[in-house]
Amino acid sequence: MTEQKTEKRSIYRMLVEYDRRIIYLFIFVLIIAPLMQPFSLPIQVSPGTMTYYNVINGLKKDDIVLVVFDTEFSGYMELQSGILASIKMIFEHEVKVAIAVSHPEATGIPQLVFDKLKGVMDQHHYIYGQNYINLGYIFPNEASVASTAQDFHSIVRQDAYGKSIQGTFLDNVNTWKDWTLISDYTTGIQSGSLINHYGLRGTPMIVNCIGVMISTQMPYVSSGIYKALLESMRGGAELEYLTSSPGPGLTAMNSFTLGHYMLMIAIILGNIGYFGYRSEMSRKAKEER
Amino acid sequence: MSSFFKSKTAQLTIMILSFLAVFVPYFIDVPAMTTFSTKLMTITAIVSAFTLLLALYSQFRRGYTFIQKRKRGWIFKAYMMISIVLMLVFALFGQETGPYNWAMYAIITPLSSVNYSILVFYMASTGARAFRARNTRALLLLITGFIVLFYQAPLTGAFFPQLTPVALYFTGTFVAAVAKMFLISVTVGAIVFGMRVLMGKETTILGFTKEEAS
Amino acid sequence: MVNPLFQVPGIVSGRALGLIFVVVLAILVYYYMSSGKKIYIRRVPGLDAIEEAIGRSAEMGKPVVCSFGIAGGGFDYWTMAGLAILSHVATLTARTGTRLIVPTGGSDASLIVRPVAEEIVRTAYLLEGKVEAFDSNDLPFMSGQQYAYTGGYIGILQRTRPASVIMTGSHASEAMNIAETSNAIGAITITSGSYISNVAALACASDYILIGEEAPAAGAYLSKEPPLRASIRAQDIYKAVSLILIIGGLILMTAGSDIVVRLLVS
Repeated sequence: MTEQKTEKRSIYRMLVEYDRRIIYLFIFVLIIAPLMQPFSLPIQVSPGTMTYYNVINGLKKDDIVLVVFDTEFSGYMELQSGILASIKMIFEHEVKVAIAVSHPEATGIPQLVFDKLKGVMDQHHYIYGQNYINLGYIFPNEASVASTAQDFHSIVRQDAYGKSIQGTFLDNVNTWKDWTLISDYTTGIQSGSLINHYGLRGTPMIVNCIGVMISTQMPYVSSGIYKALLESMRGGAELEYLTSSPGPGLTAMNSFTLGHYMLMIAIILGNIGYFGYRSEMSRKAKEER
Repeated sequence: MSSFFKSKTAQLTIMILSFLAVFVPYFIDVPAMTTFSTKLMTITAIVSAFTLLLALYSQFRRGYTFIQKRKRGWIFKAYMMISIVLMLVFALFGQETGPYNWAMYAIITPLSSVNYSILVFYMASTGARAFRARNTRALLLLITGFIVLFYQAPLTGAFFPQLTPVALYFTGTFVAAVAKMFLISVTVGAIVFGMRVLMGKETTILGFTKEEAS
Repeated sequence: MVNPLFQVPGIVSGRALGLIFVVVLAILVYYYMSSGKKIYIRRVPGLDAIEEAIGRSAEMGKPVVCSFGIAGGGFDYWTMAGLAILSHVATLTARTGTRLIVPTGGSDASLIVRPVAEEIVRTAYLLEGKVEAFDSNDLPFMSGQQYAYTGGYIGILQRTRPASVIMTGSHASEAMNIAETSNAIGAITITSGSYISNVAALACASDYILIGEEAPAAGAYLSKEPPLRASIRAQDIYKAVSLILIIGGLILMTAGSDIVVRLLVS
């Protein structure tokens, strides 16, 4: 029986050919650990978040705001911090709020938000039907968004609980012109439709989107269709910081930071391994010649 | 009569009239047309909701045949059909409370959240594997990526505010330029596609094969 | 607020230029479609990759997995491109005797697209004289829910271990999951980035990527249908016009003239 010579892998080769599950393990530990043992790290507020904050701050009492949860529940996990911080600010300005949803998974989100912000709502005397209404799943497709923009009451006659919306503040809402602001929390489901039928017609819009959508939403910010853009969970954390209402966003920023650093270290190590292995191979080839 | 409505000509005529009913009021302010287009869009919204019923029927018909023939994986088909029936019953009798709420928030949303969260592992392993400074362009890309990543980490954004204008410059110019370019391409493509449909060149949408359409 | 350069009586303010653009585009598309000219489209490099991938699968005796996206908007621009590429892939797999698996689903609208995809694959096999090799169970419908579809797709990849995975059409966040799994099992991964946010991640995870318009152009190239080629030509003309407006506007704005901006708000 011949002995098989096992070639010892160099450190450079190990850095290039490691099992990807090692990365998964590191990411898992670095994300979970700060959540189990929170610690506070400083955070810098970006100009975009400052603009978003100023737009909401510009709302006056009795303005009518349409809040759209344009996300699946998985997206809510990322947008949660922005949603809670923004809607808290909106409630603090005592505006009239109508909440709509554009995905069946998101129908429970309004109640989750109301439960979390109950204290603020009670403080500012929010009464269902008078100051706020949950319209439910009214935006399943672009046709419904278009119809509500042109004639709101043609498609929306009752709220999410089956009660008529007649006699509420929505009696004054007929078309896209009647909304003071649309606050969209989106993973991209109906954001395009809202832009086409509300934003392009002149209804002010502010948007909180997930991280992967930021680059696609930038043209709308620079063209003025969006008054402001809150960028994913980081933007939500910055807003929580601005409004002094720490929540899931600020808690997650530690994991966010460590995850970013881990990725940078992995890239650096991978490049060290790549160049080291390459020079090793070219040296071996020269020796063999 | 029914053969007339099934014909390509009739379907295209209805499509073109519906298109004009919605297209024209956007550019020419005619109140009567605006009202008509709103009603048409409301009808469309309701009819498209009924396609879900069609989908349900199609799934049950295929599923029943699959289970009857005991094909490989039939138990999963049975599980799917039972789940559909159960969720329908929960929704009809509990609406948004009780078992429907429990099934949504204890089963469906955690499962979809997990799938979405798995992305972070894949992104990390892809980034670690793919970012190699093989040549000058790759090196420039890597440096740019590092600056943006560094800025995105909230801690470094706080301690190195000098990075902010550089990172914002990259995202505000190069990334925004690419996004705008994409937007222009996709928008023009969508308009041209719509025109092909209206001119009757995209027969698959009308439900005709190429042979039937010619 | 910038004053428009011109206003057309009867047209809503700020929309006249848009209307002119759409009408001119319609005329261009009609002209190219009816001209009968043979319009040249360069061969997209990704197509060579597709043929190489199918050849590899045939040699290894492993299946090919090809999908046309989640069809979130029904029969939209990207889905039609995906279906055109699926037709080409089905033709090649029928010719080489390779098994083709087409996972479908991902949205409610995908239920409407699925029968068309089945018909496309069946027709491809029929035209190659191998209709008996077609199996409709190789076009499984995963789910109308995006992540349930992803789970099913990944399961198919893990079980069948294909030699190549071709993901065209419109994909959202599930594209990354699928591309990375495909990479992990050692398959050649060819994707199309229809969503700008996906392009960067897919470029890292895939072996070949068709960026943006390359997928519809590939579809037009493969199908050889004059209407498709005519539309690509009309789009290219419009992109050239956009480029001229951008560069011209930039130069004129720097020189102190806002004429291009005023034109665009007309």
